Amino acid sequence: MAKISLSGVTKSYGSVQVIPSMDLEIEEGEFVVLVGPSGCGKSTTLRMIAGLETVSGGKLMIGERDVTELRPGLRNCAMVFQSYALYPHMSVRDNIGYGMKVRGVRKAEIASAIEKVARILNLSEYLDRKPAALSGGQRQRVAIGRAIVRDPDVFLFDEPLSNLDAKLRVEMRVEIKQLHRRLKTTMVYVTHDQVEAMTMADRVVVLRDGIIEQAADPITLYEQPANQFVAGFIGAPSMNMLEGRIEQVGEDLRFRGEAGSDFAIPQERVASLAPYAGETCVLGIRPEHTHEEGGGDPSVEIEVVDIEPLGPHTLLIGQAGGAKFTGQVAAGTKAEPGERRHISFDPHKLHFFRAGDGRTIR
Amino acid sequence: MSVRDLTGNRRWLAFAGCCAWFVFTIFPLYWVAITSLKTPPDVVNGPTYFPFIDFEPTLKAWRDLLSGIRGEFYSNFWSSAIVSVSSSVFATLLGAMAAYALVRFPFRVRLLSGVIFFAVAMGGFLLGRNVFGISPAMASILAFTVALALSVFLNRFPLPGKVLGNDDIVFWFVSQRLFPPIVVAFALFLLYSEMGKMGFKMTDTYLGLTLAYISFSLPIVVWLMRDFISALPLEVEEAAMVDNVPQWRIFFGIVLPMSRPGLIATFVITLAFTWNEFLFALFLTNSEWQTLPVLIAGQNSQRGDEWWAISAAALVAIIPMVVVAGLLGRLMRSGLLTGAVK
Repeated sequence: MAKISLSGVTKSYGSVQVIPSMDLEIEEGEFVVLVGPSGCGKSTTLRMIAGLETVSGGKLMIGERDVTELRPGLRNCAMVFQSYALYPHMSVRDNIGYGMKVRGVRKAEIASAIEKVARILNLSEYLDRKPAALSGGQRQRVAIGRAIVRDPDVFLFDEPLSNLDAKLRVEMRVEIKQLHRRLKTTMVYVTHDQVEAMTMADRVVVLRDGIIEQAADPITLYEQPANQFVAGFIGAPSMNMLEGRIEQVGEDLRFRGEAGSDFAIPQERVASLAPYAGETCVLGIRPEHTHEEGGGDPSVEIEVVDIEPLGPHTLLIGQAGGAKFTGQVAAGTKAEPGERRHISFDPHKLHFFRAGDGRTIR
Repeated sequence: MSVRDLTGNRRWLAFAGCCAWFVFTIFPLYWVAITSLKTPPDVVNGPTYFPFIDFEPTLKAWRDLLSGIRGEFYSNFWSSAIVSVSSSVFATLLGAMAAYALVRFPFRVRLLSGVIFFAVAMGGFLLGRNVFGISPAMASILAFTVALALSVFLNRFPLPGKVLGNDDIVFWFVSQRLFPPIVVAFALFLLYSEMGKMGFKMTDTYLGLTLAYISFSLPIVVWLMRDFISALPLEVEEAAMVDNVPQWRIFFGIVLPMSRPGLIATFVITLAFTWNEFLFALFLTNSEWQTLPVLIAGQNSQRGDEWWAISAAALVAIIPMVVVAGLLGRLMRSGLLTGAVK
C-alpha cells in the first residue's frame, strides 16, 4: 500500500507533447479512475506509473520512493491489461504463480498463494486449464489473480473490462470493487467508460489532451462539473447544451436562447449570473432533469429525430435549433420522427458555462 | 472468384489440371523409388514403369548400399545428420535472439562508423600483411578486432551522416545471401586453411562445417523469426516486465514458447538447407566429415551410371527430411497464441 504522486510529469514523443506537466496525488488505499476520450493520455499516464513508458520530465513517487528512473519490475506495481496478456503456453496455475517462481519463492508458499487467490476469484476448478480454454471473464480473473499474488503497493488497471460483454462487465465491476474493499490497496484504473468511472471510483480524474480537467468524487463531478467538457463527458445520456444570452429585463435576469428557450433565472442563481448580463453563455441541462411540457417550468421546442424506449423512461432525441437535445419523458410516450415537441426542464438544476472558455459559472 | 465457385465441366477441368500437376511433381520421386528396386538390366533395357508388372523388384541396390560396399555410407549419413541438426538448432536459437532484439529494441548504427569499420579492417589487414609481414590469418584477426572495437566505440558519438535503424540492419543480414554462395565458399576455404596453418584445424572438422552452416543460415533465420516475433503481443511481455521477470527469462520462458510454431518452421527450413547443402560441404570437407549430398554426387563419377544404386542413395537422403517435416509439421500449427490476448 502506498500513495502515488506525480509532480510536473510530462511525456513527449519526439516533438509531440502528449502530457504537458501533470500534477496528481493519489492517496494511500484510494481507488482513482482516470477517464477521458481516446487519446487523452490516460493510458500513457498509467503506463508511466507502471514504468512501461519513460517519463520525459518531472518526478514520479510511489510511497516514499522516487521511481522516475526505476525499471517496471522494481516499482512493485501489478498491472492488469485490457487484452489480459496471459502467458498462453502456461496453465492458469502457472500463469498466476510464474512471477513468484521467478522470484524464487518456495513451492509450498506459491501453491498456497495460488489456492487462496483462486478461491477469492472463483478459479479453483480452472487451475489446470490453459487460457485458451477459458472465457473472457475467466481470463480477466486470471490476470487479476496474477496481479493479486504479486502483493503490490499499487494495482494498475488499463481498461480491464473493455473486452467483456455488457453483463459480465457489470459483474466484474462489482468484483473489482469488492477486491479493493478487501485488499485496501491503492488502485489506479483507466477507462473510457464514464459509467465505470462513476460507479467504481473514490475519485475520478477527467483528462483531456493530457490535462486534468477535474479530479473529484463522482457526485461532485456530476453535480458541480468544473467546466463544459466535464459536464458533457460525465453523465449518460450526456448533458444538453444550449447557447443563449443572459439579459437583464427589469428586475429579472432572463436566459434567452435557441429553440424558444426564454425563462427567468431562479433567484438562487441571480447573484452569480448577474455579472454576465448581456453576455452569451451556454446553458447545460441534463436529460434526467427534463420532462414533458407542463407545470409552468421553462421549456424548449425540439424536432424529434429518434425515440429510445428504455423501459423505466423514454428518451426523445431531437434537434433544438442548432444543438442536439435529449429529453427524458414518461415511459409510454409515443412520438414520430419529424414531430415537434416541447420539453420542459427543472430551472433549479441548471448549469451555466462561460461561452469563451467553457468554465462553470457558480 | 475461387475454384470452389466453379461448376460443371469447368470443375472437372480444374480437377484434371490439379491431377496433371500432381503427377508431374510426384513422378520424379516415384521414378527414383522404383529405380532403386530395379536390377541393372531393367534399368538399361528401355523404360519399365510398374513393379511386378513389367519388371521384378529386387532389394539388391539397397543391400549393397547398407552393407557399405559403396563407400563410407554410414559415416556420411551420420556426419550429415549431426552437422545439419546441430547447426540448425544453433542457427535457429541465435537467429531468434537476434530477431527478438531487432523487433523489441531500437538500434542506431551510424553509417560513418560502418565505413570506418570497413576502412580500418581492410587497411589494417593490408598493412599487417604487406608492411609488417604478419601471416594473413593473424593480420585479419587483428585488423577485424581493432576495427570492430573502434567502430562500436565511435558509434557512441554523434558522427555526421546517415543513421541506420533496425530495418537497415535486417536488410544487411539478408543481403549476405544475395551474392553467390561460391564466393563465400571460396573465401571460407581460404580462411579455414589459413586457420589450419595457425594450428586450428577447421577444414574437414565438425566445428568448421557447422560454423559455416550457422553463419550462412543466420540471415534467413533472422529474417523469418523477425516476422514471427513481431506478431507476438507486446502486452504479454509487458505484463512479465511489471511482474519483475528478468529480460532473459522473458525471452526463454515466454517469447520462445509463444513463437514455437515459428521456431519449428524456421528450424525445418534451416534443416532442409543444411541437409541438402552441397557446395560448402564439397569445399570444406574431404573424408571424415563429408556429407551425404557429396557422396551421392560422387556416385556417378566413381562407378558410372549405376542408377539403381544412385536412386537408393538419393532416397536415403530424401526420406529423413520427409519424416522430419511430417513429425514437426503438426507442431507448426498456429493457434498457439489463443488465450494470450482477447
